[in-house]
Amino acid sequence: MSEQIWSVSDFVAVLNQTLEFAYPGVTIVGELANFRISKNKWVYFDLKDENASVRCFGTVYMLPGPLEDGLSVQVNAAPRLHPQFGFSLNLMSILPVGEGSLRRAAALLEAKLTREGLFDEARKRPLPYPPQTIGLITSGESAAYADFIKITNARWGGLDIKLADIQVQGEAAIEQISQAITLFNQLPKIPEVLVLIRGGGSADDLMAFNSESVTRSVAASRIPTLVAIGHEIDTSLAEKAADKCASTPSNAAELLTPDKKHELVRLKTAQSSLNQHLSTITDNLRQQVKYFADQFINVMRQTFNNERQKLATSANLLEALSPNAALIRGYAILRSGDRLIKSGRQVRENSLISAQVSDSVIDAQVKKVDYNK
Amino acid sequence: MATKPVNYQKLNSELEQILAQMQSGELDIDESIKLYERGQKIVKELQTYLKATENKISKVQASKK
Repeated sequence: MSEQIWSVSDFVAVLNQTLEFAYPGVTIVGELANFRISKNKWVYFDLKDENASVRCFGTVYMLPGPLEDGLSVQVNAAPRLHPQFGFSLNLMSILPVGEGSLRRAAALLEAKLTREGLFDEARKRPLPYPPQTIGLITSGESAAYADFIKITNARWGGLDIKLADIQVQGEAAIEQISQAITLFNQLPKIPEVLVLIRGGGSADDLMAFNSESVTRSVAASRIPTLVAIGHEIDTSLAEKAADKCASTPSNAAELLTPDKKHELVRLKTAQSSLNQHLSTITDNLRQQVKYFADQFINVMRQTFNNERQKLATSANLLEALSPNAALIRGYAILRSGDRLIKSGRQVRENSLISAQVSDSVIDAQVKKVDYNK
Repeated sequence: MATKPVNYQKLNSELEQILAQMQSGELDIDESIKLYERGQKIVKELQTYLKATENKISKVQASKK
């Protein structure tokens, strides 16, 4: 079989086809080295371990967040032989792996987003308490979902809960969570609160909640957000970006609604204080009315006494002024016919007059009128 | 029975307001009785809301590959 002789280009083309056929996409874990970004778009780095190193090439849009040399990462890439630049892995996705790297990557992202003010307290909005409509983002089969619903149902009723059933683990989770947040924010009638929950897991399991895409989506949500991820101890960046974070899915349910039992007790006390206030008011009124009544009686008694006194004095006065009193003292009232005689000029000698004394009337005749007495 | 969507928060704060007003003691008897009756009505409405209503859970179309 005659030896095949290739041109360089043919050889590169054929090799590429073989690679594409044999390795459409490979997943490799290794250490990040010589990581650099150019023109804010292209990403170059080496993926290495103790014995080997391979060049990788991608774009910034594939990054889960800021990365730095030394992180161990898992890369999905397509091996290619570039005609000029030689062999490299064309990046499809890249994620930090392992507790240490994940923590480190999260710290880098946290620093970056903190600088942008994404975690500022001032951005935090209060949650409606209680809400009526809830956008719930979690995996429908998860224990977190079951706990959240169980506790919510026990505590409160009348809620309209819309579930976005998504993956909460693995690479796909990042995109699905961000898409769910966007979906709820674009509904014709947006829910009053978004709840993103996930139970405990390893650092790798919770990786999505430390990704830049999810953290930014939570922060950018027009709808106030409540996020509860994993165990109490570690707080994911998504929780830090949320308006409110809870330690567990159950705790999230407790923060979101009051408890029916407490509310019923509170309503009972409200009812009795209503009764009590009313009776205090009516008692006060009754006392007031009584006070007024007493006042009224006193005033009446007083007025009555005053009147009686006044009457007595007038009677005495009347008595004193009455002509009869004068008659008793010896005066007499002289009349000529029915005319009162006040002066001697009103009579002449021999005219007939009558004199009224205290006990009788004396008819008499005028003898003489003497003016100089 | 289709309960009219009670706005729990709104009714609740109205009840608290009524209690505060009645406590202030500046009301005349007619206002107090009116407020008293309104307060009782709210309490009953909220109690029914708490006891009767169920939670409704529905799914929105989310991509679950």
